[in-house]
Amino acid sequence: MTALLAERVSKRFGGLTALDAVSLTVEPGEVHGLIGPNGSGKTTLLNLLSGFYQVDEGSVRLDAEDLSGAAVQRRARLGIARTFQKPRLLGSQTVLENAMLGGWRDRSAGLLSTALSLPRVRREQRMLRDRAAELLAGLGLGHALNRRANLLEHAEQRFLEIARALALRPRFILLDEPAGGLTGAEIERLGAVIRTLRDGGIGVLLVEHHTEFVFGISDRVTTLNLGRLLRHGTPQEVRNDPEVIRVYLGA
Amino acid sequence: MLGVIVTGLAIGALYAATALAYNVMYSTSKVLSVTTGHLAMLGGVFGAWFVTALGWPPLLALPAALVVGAFAGWLTDVIAIRRVLKRSDEHLWLLSTLALATIVQQGVGLWWGTEPKPFPRLLPQDFSSGIADQKYWLPIATTVLMALALELFYRRTLYGKLFIAMSEDTFAARARGIETDRIRSTSFAIAGALGALAGFAAGQLTFAFFALGLTLTLNGFIALAVGGLGSNVGALVGGAALGLLNTISANLIGGEYQNTVSVGALMLILLLKPEGIFGARNVRPV
Amino acid sequence: MLGLLATLPWWAGDQYQIHLAALIAVYWILVAGLNLVVGFTGQLSIGHVGLLAIGAYAFAILAGRYEWSPWIALLASGSIGGVCGLLLGLPSLRLPGFYFAMATMAFALIVAEITLALGDLTGGGVGLAVPGFSAPFDSPAGFYLLLLGIAALITWFTWNVARFPWGRALVAIRDNPVAAESVGVPVFRMKLAVFVLSGITAGVAGALFASLQSYITPDTFVFELGLFFFVCIIIGGRSSIVGPLVGTAVLTALPELVAPLAKLGNLFYGVLLLAVVLLVPEGIGRLFEVLLARLRPERAASHVLEPDTERLAAAIRKGRDA
Repeated sequence: MTALLAERVSKRFGGLTALDAVSLTVEPGEVHGLIGPNGSGKTTLLNLLSGFYQVDEGSVRLDAEDLSGAAVQRRARLGIARTFQKPRLLGSQTVLENAMLGGWRDRSAGLLSTALSLPRVRREQRMLRDRAAELLAGLGLGHALNRRANLLEHAEQRFLEIARALALRPRFILLDEPAGGLTGAEIERLGAVIRTLRDGGIGVLLVEHHTEFVFGISDRVTTLNLGRLLRHGTPQEVRNDPEVIRVYLGA
Repeated sequence: MLGVIVTGLAIGALYAATALAYNVMYSTSKVLSVTTGHLAMLGGVFGAWFVTALGWPPLLALPAALVVGAFAGWLTDVIAIRRVLKRSDEHLWLLSTLALATIVQQGVGLWWGTEPKPFPRLLPQDFSSGIADQKYWLPIATTVLMALALELFYRRTLYGKLFIAMSEDTFAARARGIETDRIRSTSFAIAGALGALAGFAAGQLTFAFFALGLTLTLNGFIALAVGGLGSNVGALVGGAALGLLNTISANLIGGEYQNTVSVGALMLILLLKPEGIFGARNVRPV
Repeated sequence: MLGLLATLPWWAGDQYQIHLAALIAVYWILVAGLNLVVGFTGQLSIGHVGLLAIGAYAFAILAGRYEWSPWIALLASGSIGGVCGLLLGLPSLRLPGFYFAMATMAFALIVAEITLALGDLTGGGVGLAVPGFSAPFDSPAGFYLLLLGIAALITWFTWNVARFPWGRALVAIRDNPVAAESVGVPVFRMKLAVFVLSGITAGVAGALFASLQSYITPDTFVFELGLFFFVCIIIGGRSSIVGPLVGTAVLTALPELVAPLAKLGNLFYGVLLLAVVLLVPEGIGRLFEVLLARLRPERAASHVLEPDTERLAAAIRKGRDA
């Protein structure tokens, strides 16, 4: 089984050290929660794993394969998908189009065969459309396939981002505050979705502020503070850790 | 050779002044306006019109040309920027300022004619001074004074400090109750006046010519990008370097390849130092 | 539609109307390719007139001076346009929007400068005579039909690009490059690919344009012509093919049919561009879409977002096994 690893990664912006020698492992089929106060480096770590930032020190690996320095696109092709804190959708495109974009790595037709609309191009389009429609139906967006994405409600946008990430057939999915702005009922449904991903063998990294949600759903939890690893363990261990309580959870 | 250098510096001064005008507008709006060069063109054309056609003395024509420039700058904000910045669409301002620049240039072309017309003498001086002629030192002196005045404005006046606050963080500035719309309009009017001043001062060098706007928009931008976006020192250095490069290369290989040489130099600089010589490097936010 | 256009030579009032239709077809060949760059990928190139000039001069020199077969010269013009597109795109497509627009504008000015300077090759300010094609394409009607055929073929190419996954990703690059990257879309490579394609269509259009005009000088390829192509697309609408096609036809024909507009010339295009950007930034094509949507309003279904986890699990399983 392949794991996604960050090994003693550091990241500096100018004189500011955003992350300092932090290690973290996401196993397939587990939910790994990543929590910490604002500015503790959670999103920076997610960006290092997905390739939007490159490490200054340490390494990012997919088991033995060193991904430090690999572009975002290469990591996506290897099955690392992500969502964004503020949903990044194509507002002028339909829900279905948005989700189909996620299947990019499974189409092989380039400009020339596309311009000639070779049979392969049509086949691939059908394949991506069917996959996206299935995922959207599973996520509860089956009724909105042809709606422009900028007309969706906030929770629907969050779920559409997950659909796009899933269309990539990911081995790992990195969720950046997926519960942000959701109602209690919607968070519950999000939880059901995340459990389904985990049971499907996908490794989930869950960056979240909503600590109750994280402790309730995660198999393991990592806590960061000021760019350093604070505590790492089962939800039970982390939430009872005196240090974590002092700097983050409060008494 | 001295003549080549002086001509280069004079032309460079006009480029630098255009780059300064870019910076003034950019500081409050984060917009690079295609109309920037046209502001200087208006200064030259209206200056020539006031003096030659209306017979006004230069001392009256200059403030009048500045008013025209300031009005054009203000109009740029009202027509092409204000509405567009409210939308999230990123490059709409590029289209709207491009459209406005086309309108200004073609409008002037229809009214003023498409041939360059001579710009009147501003100071009593005969034509025998060679490189000490006013057509060289006027634009150079004007641009240097302009840069100094801007520096004082940013450091010493409340308005200048508001500009800086806005350039650092528009949202925070608005949150603190600064009227960002009004500040931006003011900055565009100031940029318009500065551009017109430069076009007026360099009129004898460039002639009053409707197509000068686009040339200056490009070359002022090259000076800006070479020197570093947002840096006034960079604008001066970039403008001078570009002007010198123009005249020296024209002297060596002929004037037919001016744009080719300028743009080649720009590409080289952007390749070596994408943020320009005096520019600040930005980290990409995700 | 195409059939109707093909019979134009038999019902057109005079030769001039055929010439005008031929001109629209030539412009469209360029605009169709440029549309993928501007309308779909969102790269605001205002200097494609430079590539048009390169194609035109390549054709005039190869078919005229060196007496190549016009067909070979046409292919060569397209290839040269593509190579020049590559050379322009490689350094400039990495630059932010305003920088890119300035680079393409500078490119157009540089091409104008060089065609003027290389007098031995291009005839300098005097210009070059350009040969026509062989029979049956040597008459105005015959040449028009050839242009129509090529324009139809290129329209079909771009229509395919626009509707299949590879081309849909172009829209993603325009609207949200970060999201496109996150699923593996090679943003720069794709921008470059469509830009090279637009260089090829511009080169082909240039060759046909030169042959249609039968004489070219540097003044034929003023910067404002590049602006005109750009305006056709913006007015027609983003991620649309019909919109820019109609835009090209109307904007080419209008000044010819309405005399006062011809006098205003580029001022008219400037006013039009400003009006569209301020009032309907997505182009006039979008206006029709919105009107259509008004006619058949979507049921405002307030839906509860209810995931079907079993179905989701099945979809994920299917993905793992694929």
